[in-house]
Amino acid sequence: VHLAEQAPWWIVGPVFGLVVVGLVATLNERIGIVGGFTDALEGRLGWKLCFVLGLAAGALVYALAGGGFGHAGYGWLTRTFTGSARILVAPILLGAGALIGYGAKTAGGCTSGNGLGGTCLGSPASFVATATFMGTAITAAFVLRWLGAV
Amino acid sequence: MSRTGRVRVVALAFGAVFGFFLAWGRLTDPDVIRRMLLLQDAYLYLMLGSAVAVGFVGVRLLRARGTNALLTGEPVGWRTARPTGRHVGGAVLFGLGWAVANTCPGPVVAQVSTGVWWSGFTFAGVVLGIKLYALRHAPRVAAAGTVRAAPQDGPLPSSLELPATYQMAASVSGSKK
Repeated sequence: VHLAEQAPWWIVGPVFGLVVVGLVATLNERIGIVGGFTDALEGRLGWKLCFVLGLAAGALVYALAGGGFGHAGYGWLTRTFTGSARILVAPILLGAGALIGYGAKTAGGCTSGNGLGGTCLGSPASFVATATFMGTAITAAFVLRWLGAV
Repeated sequence: MSRTGRVRVVALAFGAVFGFFLAWGRLTDPDVIRRMLLLQDAYLYLMLGSAVAVGFVGVRLLRARGTNALLTGEPVGWRTARPTGRHVGGAVLFGLGWAVANTCPGPVVAQVSTGVWWSGFTFAGVVLGIKLYALRHAPRVAAAGTVRAAPQDGPLPSSLELPATYQMAASVSGSKK
């Protein structure tokens, strides 16, 4: 087991699936992350906020156990916006985050809530949402590269 | 421990497993997400596919056995929703943000907790987006002027509390949630 290397998909995927099943088996609830944000904003220590706090702690344990902490750069954004233009990365990430938050609330879930939870429960709305955000994101990634993203 | 306490501990534990493997799967690395979106790496599709396969079968086995949820005692079951415009519109906005920031709500939490400091901006953006949504969809009691008094012991409207999937009981499968 090499914590410093990416775990194989056939371990991560089934573990995520078992987390979905575990939440249904114990709480009869659908996995989701945005609900935890909402809990926090409304000052409620609901199960969803606990799940998100656990997520933060689990990732921290991974980093401490040998996975390592993040480095200075951030993907295509800091490769594309260099020098004095680097300051633009901050508002771009802020805006992208706002789209993610607003969009997920509108669509009734994010990659976890719709893409993982809703699809496992066989919800047609989640399949449509997942196909839509996948298709949009793939198209947008190609457009960004065409526009000059490195 | 009270039932609320047990629910919190269990949610925390499942969250920790999810976060550990999310970080180990390197979903916190924006380039891993970008390579997936540019169709250069099948990792995330295989990962998500196997996750859904396991979850899809697992929850159906639980329901078929007539299991009661361990902590809440209610029979395992769920409602599903028929797709509407907001599922498409919201997903388009979400997909655009995803393609730019190469992260989504789960990974952004893991990024912040593992010291990817640029993600502080994305995190703040997600909070901002959720707040904007809540503002736009706030109950218009005062503005409409038709209702004099606010609800007494103010539980928030269900539109803010429940995952949207549960709000529209287009079809009911299994026992009601």
